[in-house]
Amino acid sequence: MIYLDSAATTLEKPGAVPRASAWAMTHLASPGRGGHAPGMGAAKLMYQMREQAARLFGVSDPERVVLTCNATHGLNIAIHSLVRPGGTVVISGYEHNAVTRPLYAIPGVKVKEAAGPLFDSDGVYAAFEREVTADVDAVVCNHVSNVFGFIQPVERIAQLCRARGVPLIVDASQSAGTLSVDLEGWGASFVAMPGHKGLYGPQGTGLLLCGGDARPLLYGGTGSLSARQDMPDFLPDRLEAGTHNVCGAAGLLAGMKFVSRTGAVRIHRHEQALARRMMDRLERVPGVSVFRGGENQSGLCSMTIGGMDCEEMGEALARRGIAVRAGLHCAPLAHQTAGTQDTGTVRLSFSAFNRQDQVDRAAAVIRELAGTAKQ
Amino acid sequence: MVYYLIICRSLTYAQRTAQVLERVGIPGWVQRSPKLISKEGCGYCVRIPERRLTDALTVLRRENMAPKQVFLQAADGEYSEVKS
Repeated sequence: MIYLDSAATTLEKPGAVPRASAWAMTHLASPGRGGHAPGMGAAKLMYQMREQAARLFGVSDPERVVLTCNATHGLNIAIHSLVRPGGTVVISGYEHNAVTRPLYAIPGVKVKEAAGPLFDSDGVYAAFEREVTADVDAVVCNHVSNVFGFIQPVERIAQLCRARGVPLIVDASQSAGTLSVDLEGWGASFVAMPGHKGLYGPQGTGLLLCGGDARPLLYGGTGSLSARQDMPDFLPDRLEAGTHNVCGAAGLLAGMKFVSRTGAVRIHRHEQALARRMMDRLERVPGVSVFRGGENQSGLCSMTIGGMDCEEMGEALARRGIAVRAGLHCAPLAHQTAGTQDTGTVRLSFSAFNRQDQVDRAAAVIRELAGTAKQ
Repeated sequence: MVYYLIICRSLTYAQRTAQVLERVGIPGWVQRSPKLISKEGCGYCVRIPERRLTDALTVLRRENMAPKQVFLQAADGEYSEVKS
């Protein structure tokens, strides 16, 4: 199989990742719940994981690194920490349902879209400049669009938010592990990311980096201040009720070490080169439209094929051993902004483990399938 | 043996405290806080040798990590709070 769906989950992991998770399953217990060796071993691992993340993502204090179930979990915490019923929020035009649905669920929230044309960084920034006003409670923006790989001008947006005193939440789902993610440099209130994409950890892991005060989403035991009924007012305990996913954290730590060792920039360049190679080939196929940016596009490629439903293409590729993602990618807003809400797209996304020959093989199969499309 | 127990608000904070101390050569062991001195329920502390308390407090203050409470654990197992 040729796996080109790493924007959803990286499937091929560094060997150390499954080994670490499996080892943790039988050697480590619950951190913060006992003083015995398996408990303290788990505590040590959790601390190492927080430290590794802190080093990678510009956090000076490992206590501000919170283990979550996924990026969606982290985004929910962040949004519920900053947005009250009736509040006002600015989001980009490329947000995922992980942002829009939690906002929709808060009664009376006014959502303003700072939507700019696809791959137009200046246009997106100008839209934020217009929409981010003093009455805004929070700005939520993804670093990279999961549909088109559009790298949004987050550094500039962060600067704007700082200047206007508006808290910023960054969804780094598609950038953690490949681009510079810098909580403190950005001055962001929160940065959420999954563990199972560019950090090569297991599914069911994610991180929330906290630059500001947070409200718990879950309430329960934390192994601290247990005589009290209110949640601890300190991190990470405030946001980590219940038993931790230690096996996941062990794999995530191994994944982050891989990223650190390999270098995020190197991984980004590799994926970007594969995406460009794919786009070079697909652009020559009659009927195929490729959504192509420049340096502001990460290592993924989205396309449509005239006369062929994107889901049918996804299915046909799957039958030929090529795994891609088709449809709206849980991001209808991004499709609406780019004008692809009626067709959806086929998305091909890459990881550190993909090779050029896989790109060439997949492109050849797409060419063959496109030839069968109704013109 | 006589030890000092630096009471920490959380396990992660205790780990960070021990790490800061270890960086300057002060051995610190993270352990559960004894129930007798842990008034708010479960917690963790960092145990350090008796003769290193002054150095430890200096380092922690410099790092803006002044301890919540410090207890002396006497040879007979009794605990007494010391002014930090």
